[in-house]
Amino acid sequence: MAEAAIRADGLSKTFGGGWRGREVRALDNVSLEVHPGEMFGLLGPNGAGKTTFVKILLGALHPSSGGAYIFDVGCNNWASRKKAAFLPENHRFPAYLTGLEMLCYFGGLAGFSRSEVKAKAGQLLQVVDMASWGNTKIRKYSKGMMQRLGLAQALLTDPQVIFLDEPTDGVDPIGRHEIRQILLKLKAEGKTIFLNSHLLSEVESICDRVAILDKGRLIKVGPVVGLIDVRPTFRIETAQSVTMVAEAIISTHPQAVITDRSITLALDDAVQINRVIDLLRQNQIDILAVVPIRASLEDNFMELIKGNRDDA
Amino acid sequence: MHSFSAILRDTLLEVRDRKVFYVYWALAGLLVIAILLLPNFKIDGHEMLQGDTIPQEMIVEGTARFMSALFGFFVFLLVFGSAGLIPAFLQKGRIELSLSKPISRYRLILLKFSAVYLLMAIILTGTVTLIWLAASFRLGHVDTGYIGGLLIYLAQFLFIYSLVFCLGVLSNSGAASIMGYFIVRIGTDLLAGRKAIYAFLGDSVWRKILDGLYHILPKYGEVTDNSIPLMTGKEMISSYPIYSTFVISVVLVLVALAVFHRRDY
Repeated sequence: MAEAAIRADGLSKTFGGGWRGREVRALDNVSLEVHPGEMFGLLGPNGAGKTTFVKILLGALHPSSGGAYIFDVGCNNWASRKKAAFLPENHRFPAYLTGLEMLCYFGGLAGFSRSEVKAKAGQLLQVVDMASWGNTKIRKYSKGMMQRLGLAQALLTDPQVIFLDEPTDGVDPIGRHEIRQILLKLKAEGKTIFLNSHLLSEVESICDRVAILDKGRLIKVGPVVGLIDVRPTFRIETAQSVTMVAEAIISTHPQAVITDRSITLALDDAVQINRVIDLLRQNQIDILAVVPIRASLEDNFMELIKGNRDDA
Repeated sequence: MHSFSAILRDTLLEVRDRKVFYVYWALAGLLVIAILLLPNFKIDGHEMLQGDTIPQEMIVEGTARFMSALFGFFVFLLVFGSAGLIPAFLQKGRIELSLSKPISRYRLILLKFSAVYLLMAIILTGTVTLIWLAASFRLGHVDTGYIGGLLIYLAQFLFIYSLVFCLGVLSNSGAASIMGYFIVRIGTDLLAGRKAIYAFLGDSVWRKILDGLYHILPKYGEVTDNSIPLMTGKEMISSYPIYSTFVISVVLVLVALAVFHRRDY
């Protein structure tokens, strides 16, 4: 069996309990594998356990039970982080450092000499479009600039696995596009990228596979294509009111949404749309447009979360 | 080695940013100017500050007392200068990034402890030595006994910083660390004078409790009781406060390491 870049086996994490107050189960028996070279997205609403999951993998949190591994080295062992890098959400880089000094500091913690870091830093700052800001103190940086610097910091040690928690948070649309391009380039180089993001469209556009967490439980894992593979939906816009055929449509398509001059309905196959169109024509209703509606990852995500909570 | 130099440099820049250096050098500069501009004055008919006109012992004793008071004041300031550094290092959003690097937790926090102590020791040594040199120049007398006093105060600050460090790791708060230190300091200074109230306690259990507390708590005040004898070339009063406080400080650092190793960030 090929070695997984990231592996979680029955990973659970409980906070609080006893004298520390109410017990919160942040992760509940999560098992997951990310393959080398894969771009993997972890989705979930706030408090789902995404950051907890990443923090356990990076040694900031201890699991309550189960195991987490990077290239088969247990995350309780600091050596597991030799091949990993991290850009945390809500990071607080030391404001008294310049961008270059910050890279030297975190590079030093990773075991690199100051001269080694400086040799790489120039090129990295250029990659993240921060070349002219290396000698400016971080306290003068905007949020977006700090994200770019954080990304440079993550790339400094040439890691095999990169964990990014909301990497485009606070970055303008051009910056977001640039960061996406950098991530795609890293993927092309064979790096494994683990992306925590609230921006579903971002995950949808660049990730190979996605996992969805809710209330600490893994709901679904699969290719993005699979996750957005839902019944084709169409909106039919008409010139006249459709109220006279509403009853007939509802009887065959109970979930159809009907307004005065439009019908939105999900279909099992393309033949069904012709039946609806025929029905409208028989009733002298002119069709202005038939618009296919692509269900986005967000729609499917909402549906999954809702379904999971209904089941619970 | 690279990790230590990175942490040391980061701590240096943080200390500079917190203006700790400036306060020390400004204070030291003012004292040096004051010493150099001090007018000559007379004690018991002898003109001071000319060295050869008053007994040598008086100069040595006076310098030792002045330097001891200065050390005490500068160590007091160092507590404020250093207490916030560990909580800042453990700040959410920063510590996760440090922990994500391939370095063990023990090593990471121990290097930070060492870097803070080293920098504070350099500040203390540099500024007080400058003042000592100015005083020696003005008095026309250089006494190497000062080095003994310096070592005692460096040890005292190491012991104090072990407590401040431990409280910083436990509480994640600079203010709580300072308050904790002063509570312990006042309590232990009172315990050092416990014999004064023995007459009222008789052979009661309270006497045993006070004695027990005295032995298991650090003795920061008594550690420096040896500074003046060392600076004046006499024998130390007692080495017990030094080695017992050293043992307690080692325990405090080990507690901090264990807590840091187990804690979730």
